[in-house]
Amino acid sequence: MPKRTPVTILTGFLGAGKTTLMNRVLTEQHGQRIAVIENEFGEVGIDHELVINAEEEIFEMNNGCICCSVRGDLIRILGTLMKRRDQFDRILIETTGMADPGPVVQTFFVDDDMKEQLVVDAVVTLVDAKHVWEHIDDSDEVKEQIAFADVILLNKCDLVTPGELDKLEAQIKGMNGMAKVHRTTNAQVPLEAILEVGGFNLDHAMQVDSKFLEPEYPFEWGGIFEIPAGGAKFVATEAPDLSMKLVLIPVANTGEQALADAREQAVRMYSHDSIKALPSFTLAADGTTWELILKEGTMEWPVEVTAGSYAAFTEHYPEELGLVLNGADGEIVPTLAAAYKPDHEHDEKVSSVGIEHDGECDEPKLSRWLSTLVREQGVDIFRMKGVFAIKGSAKRTIFQGVHMLLDVQDGGSWGDRPRQNSLVFIGRNLDREALNESFRKCLA
Amino acid sequence: MPESKKPEDRVKLEMMSAAKLLPQTSATRLSDHCLDLRWSPDSTLLAAMPCLGQIELFSPAGERLAQLPEHPNGNGAIAWHPSGEWLLTYGQDAEVRIYEASFQGQPKVLTLEKAWAERAEWSPNGEHFAVALGKCVAVFTADGLEEIYRIPPQKSTICDISWNPSQPDEFASVCDGGVRLWKLGKAKPMSHFDWGGASLLSTWSPDGRWVVTGDQVPSVHLYDVKRKDPLHIQGYETKVKALAWEEAGAWLATGGGRLVTIWPCSSRKGPNGATPIQLSGHLGDAIALDFSPGGKGLVSGGRDGLVLLWMPQSTEAPALISHQEYEITRLRWSPNGQSLAVGTKNGDVFIHTLTS
Repeated sequence: MPKRTPVTILTGFLGAGKTTLMNRVLTEQHGQRIAVIENEFGEVGIDHELVINAEEEIFEMNNGCICCSVRGDLIRILGTLMKRRDQFDRILIETTGMADPGPVVQTFFVDDDMKEQLVVDAVVTLVDAKHVWEHIDDSDEVKEQIAFADVILLNKCDLVTPGELDKLEAQIKGMNGMAKVHRTTNAQVPLEAILEVGGFNLDHAMQVDSKFLEPEYPFEWGGIFEIPAGGAKFVATEAPDLSMKLVLIPVANTGEQALADAREQAVRMYSHDSIKALPSFTLAADGTTWELILKEGTMEWPVEVTAGSYAAFTEHYPEELGLVLNGADGEIVPTLAAAYKPDHEHDEKVSSVGIEHDGECDEPKLSRWLSTLVREQGVDIFRMKGVFAIKGSAKRTIFQGVHMLLDVQDGGSWGDRPRQNSLVFIGRNLDREALNESFRKCLA
Repeated sequence: MPESKKPEDRVKLEMMSAAKLLPQTSATRLSDHCLDLRWSPDSTLLAAMPCLGQIELFSPAGERLAQLPEHPNGNGAIAWHPSGEWLLTYGQDAEVRIYEASFQGQPKVLTLEKAWAERAEWSPNGEHFAVALGKCVAVFTADGLEEIYRIPPQKSTICDISWNPSQPDEFASVCDGGVRLWKLGKAKPMSHFDWGGASLLSTWSPDGRWVVTGDQVPSVHLYDVKRKDPLHIQGYETKVKALAWEEAGAWLATGGGRLVTIWPCSSRKGPNGATPIQLSGHLGDAIALDFSPGGKGLVSGGRDGLVLLWMPQSTEAPALISHQEYEITRLRWSPNGQSLAVGTKNGDVFIHTLTS
């Protein structure tokens, strides 16, 4: 197959910074001839670039239906571009802020002409770190833009605190563990980070989120505090939920291993019945799982412990409640803190599931499994990628999918890499155990 | 001669004896992919339009007669006035240029608002021309270049425009999920034929009874204009990029895969319930079709570079006209039926001339 022209699809909610980024792509000296298909600004013909004002309607979708008319327009415009002798190094498509990127991505999987000449290099999603909270829980488009992304730019980082950014990044990684996340201000990121992503890179997906293949935890945050003699008190000012669980565990020191050991203990404690603790109820580090009852206004829970190091694991991020631990001399800052991938989803179950298995797949079983999977769950699966070791084949087999569309290709030699099966699913209502179990049956 | 094992060679060998009907009489090259070829109504001039670069005028012998300036950012459409007196060109610079057929002097120029610009067609009586302007179609007078009609913006860009050959004030627009029929002066469409999917091109039957679309999904739609009755024909291998009516409207040829499928359309029900003729010979998708004037011969061009001549009513075996290196993008018989123009992906333009 001749070399295909890479396509970058740029998404992001209104005001996330797409225009800023597009302007950089159009004006920076990157040495590439880029055809830009955009819908919110621009005219035909800018210097060495080609910018086509494609009018946003052509990207409107029909609930991801692969038969929607909008594809016809996109295919026709791209088809016309690809006929020209002045071939482009790259095509950049900007979707509207309100768009689900699904149908645009599908275009490159479903149309033979497009598949032959073009390949999706990356879906790049800009997220407004300051204002995304207003949409992330109730906007399907925002969730889908995050779910489809290969690269996510957390933009406008200068407008939020590091703690808020940590919380946002953890939530986003819970939804899409595959994407590489960059923190940016004014969309300042090296252009190679968005234009040279290289499409399929599952190895990268595993690297960028070390929690991706780990078990999910019943808590989102853990940290170690040095509590002085005289005790301390947890103080909260916000009540986003009716209650929040917390456990407090004595640890030997403030090291990472101590936190990791305590984490396992905390997982067990979270499976126990909890004790409701109204504000002003005294908490102890005695193996109890506390359920803090949240009310309006400032709430306090005294902590009665001997002086020493304690690990606390909270169901939600402390920032969500404005939760701090205060001692006699003021706030006690945790000496070590970590975010955990939660097993309770905030986002109507948009999540990612990674599967890794040694061994070889039986090809007919694998085909049947994938066919059944996309037929039964294709609507909910936004994207999927995988590398398979097929019995009898010396080469890697790689696949990508968007909703119900699958593309399987020869992935070349394994080289020094271990023959191993790796898969990633991103979508709604994904059942990690069921996916794992059903995939295991494909092994030869 | 030893039997070749390559399928394309086999096709060549089997067809070669019948391929001398239409010898190639000229070969020229445009500056880019050949987007369209249009013969003047008197068959004396061939206009050839590449994606980028000058639009060229050739004689039937292949002699280069004139070169017209390109439309910056891409050429879009060329169309001869039915009288043959003018040639219209249109492109992504939003200019309509109307040249006198002598190609002496400057064209009349109409500058429109910038929008996706790929279609322009004269009305059958030559009084008007319609251009696709992004999501709109605007209609202008031939004499004064005065805008007299504009359809309201549609939900997506206009894919195609085709005039009703029997009613010169009616045209079809293809966009957002189907076809709409418009009558000049009427604010609302005469008919909506919305099927929800994407159609790529449209053509009217010569008697104006049917509007046909080739679709992005492997299908063809035929709309009975008077009865407002749609027929949906499925079963093609690929999207359908080529349609051609036989001159009398008795046959409709369709691409959509390696087979060329011909539907009989002369009965009251059109192709409904009829068995099509399916012609096998291409090794790649058939993407260009044209019936010869008189309707006896059908030419097809494919992604395989083959140009085949079929006499579907007499035999199913095709004659090989040529086998080009690049895919065939356009085939046009001259109106007098004496010449066939062939355009290719790399900009070659070949002219074949009938020997008998």
